[in-house]
Amino acid sequence: MATGATLAAPVARPLFSRRARELLTGYLYLLPVAVVLGGTVLFPILKAMHMSLYNHVLIKPQDYRYVGLANYLRLLHDEVFWLSLWNSFYWVFGSVSFQFLGGFAAALLLHQSFRGRALVRTITLLPWIIPGVVVALIWEFIYQPNYGLLNDVLSRAGWMTERVAWLSSPALAMPAVIVANIWRGVPFFAIMLLAGLQAIPTELYEAARVDGASVIQRFRYITLPMLRPIVVVATATRIVWTFNYADLIFVMTSGGPANATQITSTYTLLQAYSNLDFGYAATLSVALLLIMLGFTVFYLRITRGLESVA
Amino acid sequence: MDDRTLLSRRHVLKAMAAAGVIAAGDLAWWEEPLLRPRRAWGAAPVRFQFSVPEPKRNVLVESLVQRFNQAQKDFEVKVEFVPQAQARQKLITSITAGSPPDCCQVWDNWVGEFEGMGALEDLTPKVKDWKHYGDVLPIAWQTVTIKNKIASLPWVVTNDGVYYRTDRLKEYGLKAPKDDWTFDDFLALSKAFTKVDKNQYGFGMRGQGTWAVLYATEFMYANGAQVLKDGKVVINSKEAAEALDWYLDLFRKHKVCPPSVPTDGWRGIVEGFGRGVTNTYIHNSGSAEEQKGFVGEKNFSTVPLPLGPAKKRASFYFSETLTAFNKGKNREGAWRFMSWLMEDEPNLMYTKGLGLLPARKSLFERPEFMKDPAYEGFIHSFPFSIVSPYLAYAGWGGKIDSEGVPLFQQALVGKATAKEFLDKFAEVLTKNMS
Repeated sequence: MATGATLAAPVARPLFSRRARELLTGYLYLLPVAVVLGGTVLFPILKAMHMSLYNHVLIKPQDYRYVGLANYLRLLHDEVFWLSLWNSFYWVFGSVSFQFLGGFAAALLLHQSFRGRALVRTITLLPWIIPGVVVALIWEFIYQPNYGLLNDVLSRAGWMTERVAWLSSPALAMPAVIVANIWRGVPFFAIMLLAGLQAIPTELYEAARVDGASVIQRFRYITLPMLRPIVVVATATRIVWTFNYADLIFVMTSGGPANATQITSTYTLLQAYSNLDFGYAATLSVALLLIMLGFTVFYLRITRGLESVA
Repeated sequence: MDDRTLLSRRHVLKAMAAAGVIAAGDLAWWEEPLLRPRRAWGAAPVRFQFSVPEPKRNVLVESLVQRFNQAQKDFEVKVEFVPQAQARQKLITSITAGSPPDCCQVWDNWVGEFEGMGALEDLTPKVKDWKHYGDVLPIAWQTVTIKNKIASLPWVVTNDGVYYRTDRLKEYGLKAPKDDWTFDDFLALSKAFTKVDKNQYGFGMRGQGTWAVLYATEFMYANGAQVLKDGKVVINSKEAAEALDWYLDLFRKHKVCPPSVPTDGWRGIVEGFGRGVTNTYIHNSGSAEEQKGFVGEKNFSTVPLPLGPAKKRASFYFSETLTAFNKGKNREGAWRFMSWLMEDEPNLMYTKGLGLLPARKSLFERPEFMKDPAYEGFIHSFPFSIVSPYLAYAGWGGKIDSEGVPLFQQALVGKATAKEFLDKFAEVLTKNMS
């Protein structure tokens, strides 16, 4: 007798293929990060671009209107913008190159074993730990021409007959703020390069020593090439930071005297918070962003391959 | 266990629902909850923004606000302290966002901007009925009147004068400047006061901040120059350029000023004098009390600005205002608080503590102001004091600082002539006559 055959229940076909589901799951994991990054990075950039197309002066709400590229045309004819751009390059390259050299020297020193190394490491880090505004106030006092530390020391030592106005002279103001910034930035390179030095296998040095390589040769053919990836990344990061870093100059000179220390980021602050011209300040920010993007692409292109030497 | 001591789920739910209803009822009165005794005017507190140029003022203002709150129970005043450097931006952004404080304390040169934004409460009707209206100096009303509307109460007033060291006059055998001294006398005294080997300079010129340009303008006025004439900017006139050249030469040629001038702001000139580096400087009466602590009450005095070649002079007069906003939540309360600050005791407490002068004649004429040598120069300057010409247009407020000062510094350090600076400055002013 034939019994009723039971049909196997059809397997429900999933809505998406297995590969699609895997992809979707992956993207779902990324979603929170994408939302956070979009909200904190992308949205402000798009908002700045949007604002740059408007005449948006807070004290003149009645004049708020779409002006297209008028703010960009104004920027092209703005003498102070071009001066601030030139000053920015002077500020960035003056600061970063000496920060790098100082940081490298400090890293090599701290890599050696000597008594009190922990203390020296801590002291080396101090300028990096102190907030930027406090650093600015300290250096402002050091440079104060009438009762500041530097002039006092120099005149007591007999090396100065006439007091020097370090921050009030257009010729000296920029070098003076750069020195303060070098002091602050040296520890950054010191930490990065010290980490790099500690990652170089000691066997390489031992082998080189056995082969009769001198100290200079070991430095040139082992240390430098092995540090290149860190140097490339640290320098690029520091250049971008310094380009955008306004605290020190803002506190020490406010961009003066006579715009001698006006860099693009302080000029942007001035437009936003003194003139309350948010449209033009946004235009300056977008210009700064494009310049930095261009620089980063250029820098990564000329250093292509160096970061993967190790 | 006795079941009566246990809470059933139903009890808990009922209690939660009751709490929710009470909370919801309270939310509608967020700033003055329903369950607390309500106060007049919808019980909204008065938000008072105070911009702080020096920490000393915090204690003084806290104490005044506390006194007011204790003196009446209708509403509460809440003070919000904002550093002076951020106060203007904060007020403007809060106006833009539609939530300004009920009232604030600001210098008169900002009030025009608020008026331009349509944010101010018109105080004219209230002020005209106010018992002290006639007691306030007419020039003080001028500083707070915009387009025939009274926009603020002039809390305190002041003008510019010259501070000088009396002890050093004796030390160097010099004569004290008289009220009718001239540009030449000013230069002679500055030279005699300059002792570079002792790190002492004759004159602490200001090179940074809006007032760097304003002090220079006062010297231009002494030579017959003006900022505006027949509705046109004429600050680049020959008289202005000559006077400015003379003024800048104090630093550039005669070297009677310290080398820090191009970056010396308000703090720089006050401290320079206080530390004994400079022997004269120009400022309003606001640093008089501070200098009593720095150099000693008997070691300095004040005198009016010198007469120029045109036998003229001007001291710019301005006021620290109490200003109310039309979007404030307790405008009536704001008026009551502001007018209370103008009463004898609170007004004297504020002015005497800070070295500023009361705007009310009956207070201003009291011996503690009229007989104090630290105020002499300011009081003697009243006959030729004028409201700052830069108050004429709201659009000039921020531009003097952001564009005028860097241009002025260029002239100061020799990168531009006085005339070149004035031509460019006149252009900036003309562009922003709004």
